[in-house]
Amino acid sequence: MATVAATDRAAKAPRSAQRTWLWGALLALPTAWMVAFFVSSMAIIVLLSFGRTTNDGYPAFALRTANYRAIWNDVYLELFVRSLVYALATVVISVLIAYPVAYTIARHGGRYKNALIAAIVVPFFASYLIRMYAWKALLSDEGLVNSGLRKTGLSDGVTFLNTPWAVVGGLVYGFVVYMILPIYASLERLDGSLIEAGKDLYHGPVRTFFSVTLPATRPGLYGGILLVFLPALGDFVSAQLLGGANTYMMGNLVQQQFAEGQNWPLGSALTVGMMAALTVLMVIYLRATSTQAREGS
Amino acid sequence: MTPHPRLALPRTSRRSLLTGGLALGASMALPGCAYIRDDVPVDAPLPKSAKAEIDGDLVYFNWADYLAPKVLRGFQEEFGVRIIESNFDSMEGMYAKLAAGNQYDIVFPIAKWVVKLRQEGKLRAIDPAQLDNADQVFYAGSYFNDPWYDAGSRVSIPFTVYKTGIGWRTDKVSSMTGSWHDLWNDDASGHIFTLDDQDEALAMAALLLGYGVNTAKASELAEMKKLLISQKDVLRAYSSDDINDMTGGDAWVHHMWSGDFLYLRQGLANDPTKFDFEAPTEGTPINSDTYAIPANAKHPGTAMVFIDYLLRPENAIRNMRYLYYPFPVKDALPAFSELAKDVPACNVEVSDLENENVYRLLSADDQQRRSATWTEVKAS
Repeated sequence: MATVAATDRAAKAPRSAQRTWLWGALLALPTAWMVAFFVSSMAIIVLLSFGRTTNDGYPAFALRTANYRAIWNDVYLELFVRSLVYALATVVISVLIAYPVAYTIARHGGRYKNALIAAIVVPFFASYLIRMYAWKALLSDEGLVNSGLRKTGLSDGVTFLNTPWAVVGGLVYGFVVYMILPIYASLERLDGSLIEAGKDLYHGPVRTFFSVTLPATRPGLYGGILLVFLPALGDFVSAQLLGGANTYMMGNLVQQQFAEGQNWPLGSALTVGMMAALTVLMVIYLRATSTQAREGS
Repeated sequence: MTPHPRLALPRTSRRSLLTGGLALGASMALPGCAYIRDDVPVDAPLPKSAKAEIDGDLVYFNWADYLAPKVLRGFQEEFGVRIIESNFDSMEGMYAKLAAGNQYDIVFPIAKWVVKLRQEGKLRAIDPAQLDNADQVFYAGSYFNDPWYDAGSRVSIPFTVYKTGIGWRTDKVSSMTGSWHDLWNDDASGHIFTLDDQDEALAMAALLLGYGVNTAKASELAEMKKLLISQKDVLRAYSSDDINDMTGGDAWVHHMWSGDFLYLRQGLANDPTKFDFEAPTEGTPINSDTYAIPANAKHPGTAMVFIDYLLRPENAIRNMRYLYYPFPVKDALPAFSELAKDVPACNVEVSDLENENVYRLLSADDQQRRSATWTEVKAS
C-alpha cells in the first residue's frame, strides 16, 4: 500500500509542476501583451506630457512642467465640466432606456431572449462613425425625419443637429448597448421566485422593484454606468459630427492637439490631467457607494 | 467600393472624414519611438529620380475617393500591374505613417507638406525628362516650373489646385455681398457653417482683417480670435462635411472648398440653380495638391509611369469630372472651364496661382500659437 501511495505521489508531483508551468506560460502571453501595448503606451503618454515639440514639429521627450501649467486654463476647465455634464446625461438616459429593455428581454423574452439580444447587438457591428453619419442624414433640417414632420403637419421642422441634444443623443446611441448587456446579464441570473416572494412581501410591483430587483442587479448597473460614462467623457466623434458651435468637448480638445495642433505633449498632459481628475472622482464615488452599502447592510 | 458621384448618395468631402480616421491615424503613428526624435536632418540630399519603367505593383496612398476609379482601372489594365490602395484622412496622418517607415510608391501631399517632406529627405527626385507628358504641366511660363513649395519642381508634380470661398443657397438667402462678412449674414442666422479646419478658419478671419493668412503674431491672432468668436451668434457649427451640410439643408451659407461646391451643384443637386459660390473680394486661399514619390518607395519606376499616365489630358479630364477640382494640365483646362461654366468663381485660373494666400510651413512656436487661438475659438 505504502509503495502504491508513494508512486502515486511521485506520479502526481511532476504533473502539478507541469500545470504550474502551463499556467505560467498561459499568463505570460496576456501579461506581455498588456505590458507591450497598454502599460508602455500609458508610459509614453505620461513621459510625453513632460515633453516639448521641436521646431520641426516633432514631439520630443524632455523634463518640463509647462504643459501642466498650460492646462490650467479657464476655457479647458469649462470644457471639462461640459464634458462631465454630457457624459452624466448620457449615463442617465442610457439607464432609463437600458433597464426597461434589459428587464423585458430577461423576464419576458422567453425563447426569443438570445434573438432579441442579438438584434440589439448586431447594429453595433457597424462602425460608430458610420452610424453618426446616418444620424446626420436622418436628422438634418431637410432630412427624412423633418420631411416626415412637415408632411404630417405636426411641425414645420425641428432643428435637431448641431445642438447639445444631438451630441448627447449620439453618445447615448453610441454606447447604450454597454449598459444593456451588463444589466441584462445580472437580470438573467436573478431568480424569478425572488420577485414573486417580493410581491407577496411588499404588495405591488413598484416596491418590489426598488426593494428586490434593483438591489440585486446593482453590480450590473454599476458596471454599465462605468462602461458608458468613460467612453462618453472622452468621445470626440459625436461632438464633431453632430455638435454645434458651442458643444466642443475634452475629447475634441485632445484630438486637436494630436492632429492639426501638432502639440502631442500638451495633448498628453491633458490626457494625464483628465485621468487624474477622473480617478479622484471615481475614488469619491466608490467610497460613497461602499459606505452606503455598509450602512445598508 | 467607392460611390460614384453619379449615384444620388453624397460622397463626403475628402477632408470631412478627418475625425474618425484620426483615432486610427494617431494610434498608428506611434510604432516605437521612430516619430519622437530630436535630430531631424534638414535639407537632406535628394535620392535621384527613378526611370519610368514598371518595376512592380503600385502601392498607392491617397485621400479616399480622390481619383476616378475608371482611371485607376485603366492603369491596371494597360500596364498589367495591380494598384494596392490605402487611404489617409489627414495630412498629419499621412506624415505620421511615412515617418514611421511605412513604404508607399506614391503619395499626394498638399503643397506645404511637400516642403517638410523634401527638407527631411523623405521624397525622391522626379526627373520630368522621364515623363512623356511632363510638358502638360511644365511649359514655358508655367507657374509650376518653380512653385513656392518645391524649388525647381524637383520632387513634386502638380495634381490639383483649389480655392476656398463661400457656397450658399439662393432659395434661402439673397443678400450676399461678395465679402467674407457674408459668413455673418443675419438672414442665414443659425444656418451658417465655418470649415472645421485651423488654416481655413484662421485665414478667413485674417483676410477680413487685412492680415496674411499665415500670421502668427500674437496681437493679430488676438483680434482674429475676437472676430471668430463674434461669429458664434449666427453660427450653426464648425464642420468640414460641407457637402452633406448643404445637401441636408442645415447650411444656407457655408465656408467651402471650390471642388466640393462644384460636385454638390453639378453632381448631386436636383436643382443646381439653388446653389451658388463666391470667391470673396478680400482674397481667397488658393492651394494645391501634388504627386510625390517617397524616398523609400519599393517601386518608384511604376510610380513614375503612373504619374505620367495621370498627366495624359484625357485622364486628367476623367479625374476632373469625378473630383470637380481643376487639374493644372494644359490640354485639360478648357474642359474644366466648361465644367465650371455656370459658376466661374469655382475655377482657378493659372494667373490666380501667383497668390500670397497659400498655407506655408510654420515653425512649431508659430504653429502652436495658431493652434491655441483656434482651440480657444472653438472651446469658448
